Amino acid sequence: MKQVLEGNSAVAEAVRLARVQVISAYPITPQSHIVEVLSDYCATGKMDARYLRVESEHSCLASLVGAACAGVRTFTATSSAGLAYMHEMLHWTAGSRLPIVMAEVNRALGAPWNIWSDQTDSLSQRDTGWMQFYCEDGQEVFDTVLQAFRLAEWVNLPVMVVTEGFLLSHTYEPVDVPDQEEVDRFLPPYNPAFKVDTKNPFTFNSIAAPSIYMEIRHDNAVAMDQVLERFDDVEKEFEVIFNRRYGALEAVNCDDADIILVTSGTITSTARLLLDDLWAKGEKVGLLKVKMFRPFPVESICRALKTARKVAVIDRNFSSGAGGIFLQEVRAALCNMQERPLVFGYVVGLGGRDVTTALLNDIYEKTKDSNVPPDKSIWMGLREVKT
Amino acid sequence: MKVEMTQKPFVAITYETTESNKTGSWRFLKPRYQDKTSPCSAGCPAGEDVGMIEMLARQGLFEEAWETILRENPLPGVCGRVCFHPCKAVCNRKDFDSPIAIHTLERFLADAVAGSGFTALKKVPQKNRKIAVIGAGPAGLSAAWFLSMLGYPCDIFEALPEAGGILRWGIPEYRLPLAVLRSEIARIERMGVRIIPNRAVTFHTFDELRKSYSAVFIGCGHAHGTKLGLTGENPETVRDGLEFLREMRKGKSPLCDGLSVVIGGGNTAVDVARTIIRLGGTAVILYRRRRQDMPASGDEIASALEEGVVLEELIAPWALEGSGSRTVLLLRKMKIEGEDKDGRGRIVFDGEKTVKKVVDHIFAATGAEAAEPWHSPPLPQRGVMGFSHCVLCLEDGGSPVIYGGDLTNEAKNVAQAIASGKQATMVVDTYFERGADEIKPRLEACRVGNGQALSMEAYLEGPRGGRSSHIVQYGEINTDYFRSEEGPAQPRLSAEERRRSFKEVESGISADAAAREASRCFNCGLCDQCDNCYVFCPDAAVIRGRHMEDRHINYDYCKGCGVCAEECPRNAVIMGEEGL
Repeated sequence: MKQVLEGNSAVAEAVRLARVQVISAYPITPQSHIVEVLSDYCATGKMDARYLRVESEHSCLASLVGAACAGVRTFTATSSAGLAYMHEMLHWTAGSRLPIVMAEVNRALGAPWNIWSDQTDSLSQRDTGWMQFYCEDGQEVFDTVLQAFRLAEWVNLPVMVVTEGFLLSHTYEPVDVPDQEEVDRFLPPYNPAFKVDTKNPFTFNSIAAPSIYMEIRHDNAVAMDQVLERFDDVEKEFEVIFNRRYGALEAVNCDDADIILVTSGTITSTARLLLDDLWAKGEKVGLLKVKMFRPFPVESICRALKTARKVAVIDRNFSSGAGGIFLQEVRAALCNMQERPLVFGYVVGLGGRDVTTALLNDIYEKTKDSNVPPDKSIWMGLREVKT
Repeated sequence: MKVEMTQKPFVAITYETTESNKTGSWRFLKPRYQDKTSPCSAGCPAGEDVGMIEMLARQGLFEEAWETILRENPLPGVCGRVCFHPCKAVCNRKDFDSPIAIHTLERFLADAVAGSGFTALKKVPQKNRKIAVIGAGPAGLSAAWFLSMLGYPCDIFEALPEAGGILRWGIPEYRLPLAVLRSEIARIERMGVRIIPNRAVTFHTFDELRKSYSAVFIGCGHAHGTKLGLTGENPETVRDGLEFLREMRKGKSPLCDGLSVVIGGGNTAVDVARTIIRLGGTAVILYRRRRQDMPASGDEIASALEEGVVLEELIAPWALEGSGSRTVLLLRKMKIEGEDKDGRGRIVFDGEKTVKKVVDHIFAATGAEAAEPWHSPPLPQRGVMGFSHCVLCLEDGGSPVIYGGDLTNEAKNVAQAIASGKQATMVVDTYFERGADEIKPRLEACRVGNGQALSMEAYLEGPRGGRSSHIVQYGEINTDYFRSEEGPAQPRLSAEERRRSFKEVESGISADAAAREASRCFNCGLCDQCDNCYVFCPDAAVIRGRHMEDRHINYDYCKGCGVCAEECPRNAVIMGEEGL
């Protein structure tokens, strides 16, 4: 049934329907609505789940590691500084092969204080061993949360479902919310390979000596590599029941484009509008939306971009000294192709600044006019600031 | 479409216990449970185990708390009323919000349990040596109590018709009701002590006692006040304050109509003045120094003033004129000039200024002395061993004699008298059991902290003796675990009610209020099994047991991180180097 839902509520509804058993969270804007709704569900009995109040995000994730070891389905949500505070436990979760699902609502990191959208928080955690999926609208947020549990429990790795502060988290959109029975058909109860058993006690993640540590890490890498295929399987299952699918990547008119814009999250929707205008003017432009960032779907990206002359990677994030993070990843993906497009990078919209079709059009024009991409990302829309 | 998991993840799981990893080998600092000394217990002349008493009271174990007092003090009902609680002045809680009302709790425990039929302390086998005690005041009663605890049969010889000494014949009823005192004395008698009233020991019979008993304790105290030394002074013009109080307690109503002046600044002076007010007279206390210099308890002075007693400071009696019902008292004004050795302002005459006062009665309360010279201990000489609260005399010609009470104590109050009886007991017992040379080291071993207070429990080699003598300071309490909370209000009669009757001024508090007040106590230095160490230990190396003494640290796994010591609210865990 279609409902008009705030983006954060879309997450909460999906978590409810996924029959999550333990939720642990520490509030932080712009994520807080998610766990406020869930705590209410736990308190009123709308969900049969235990809600853990914790004193920090580090403890939040640590407590979920414990709960997941006990064999229950777990969820948390955070943003920005909260995610940074989880850093150590992010590694631990992935190394433990625990299928914890997190909603990560992008928010800029301080200093200075800023509560608005910026992907640098989640992208800073790209090496922690979590899958990352970037969402474009409320429906995708809802669907991706459900898919995340299925996928996480299949490959035994944690998932970050990434949404955007205010642009998604606080925006109301129509979302098709299925009934419980449909979700149950898609998402079976969690049945882990190992769980705490008081009758047969054992220790999780005790010390692993150099003689075995590498093999454990390799198995982790193999599992992550399987995600490309497993995600496709999950999407197929999902489509059978719900009649929707997204893909790790979405290529719009890429085969026939001279210039391809590479986007993620809500900027994709803005780019779709621009594309209509440019096509009307006869421009040969395409769009590649990157939903799956970890694992990074290198082969599919190469396939999507190979025929273009130029690629403009648009980043709402920034790694100081190295440029936009999607730019780095796309360039690295393409580096071994014999024939490859020129790759331009653009930094836009940091700390929640609006990214308009006019700004994207400037990027398109700039890319079209240049044949020598600079090493680093080009900062777009900067104001002249007198100091 | 259904896809089954094809393989289990490669997860680091071991069925081996982590106990094979003995993290204790990493340790270079070692935590240790160590109970310490609470400042109140060291500040109490009787050395009461206050921190433990409040811990038991907090748990509602009122009988155990009361019994804990009785091990160090046979007169909790008395001390809960008339002791000036030096314990409270050193309570660490005063730096947090307000000190624990220790005396109020002591009184509560005494009143609550005394009537419950609970009999504390088991009797021990009787010894062959029988001991005579002269004087049934607080020192004599305490000596007999502690001697009985060690098995010595005791006979107390009391000159007056009833035991109690100054408690019975000096302190007014409104501070110490007779029933309370009688109940305490009855308990001492139940320990096997024989009290023989109306039996004054003379110098001659004293000698006989030295022959028929194995030892004699003399705790005769002060019998009457000292004279002012004025010309024209005689028992009719200047009356003895102590004698006046004694008349009152004998049930008489001594004359004190009109204007009475009381000369002196101690508790006797205040007691006399307050009694006069209750009898309908007018009382003025004349003191040659200032109010802050008065040896009397500040609370008592404040109460006296509330009741209408007038205090005149810096004024000293100079001469008497006339006689009969209207005496003229000539007074000299005093002033402060410099400082005395004890830190009080030095007083000198304020020029030639004199004041004349026409008064009906003059009471002297400037000091007191023994009734007989032989009541006082001999000067230091061969065969005489002096201690802080008693003097042991081993002259030939009879059994040892131990002098105690006010005549040996520097400070003269009930708690010091109890301390004297206790010290005398330890002195005589050690002398009998181990010889004179062992007395000093034995007393040293029984000291509570670094003060003069002694612990009978330590003497009897009870668990208290194992505590460190370190007195816990406020900074060593982890106050994160305590919440600021005010103590109970002391219920008391209004000044108007007090002026009209001898009813007890202060009354007790409820059991709820007592348990609440006891729960404010930091229990400085004493483990109360709060389990903070157990909860915080990251190595699960704190092992609890059913009993307090079962709690220990598993050094195979304790890494010596010190969290237990840091999070102990009460400073009952210490960190030390390995091997110490």
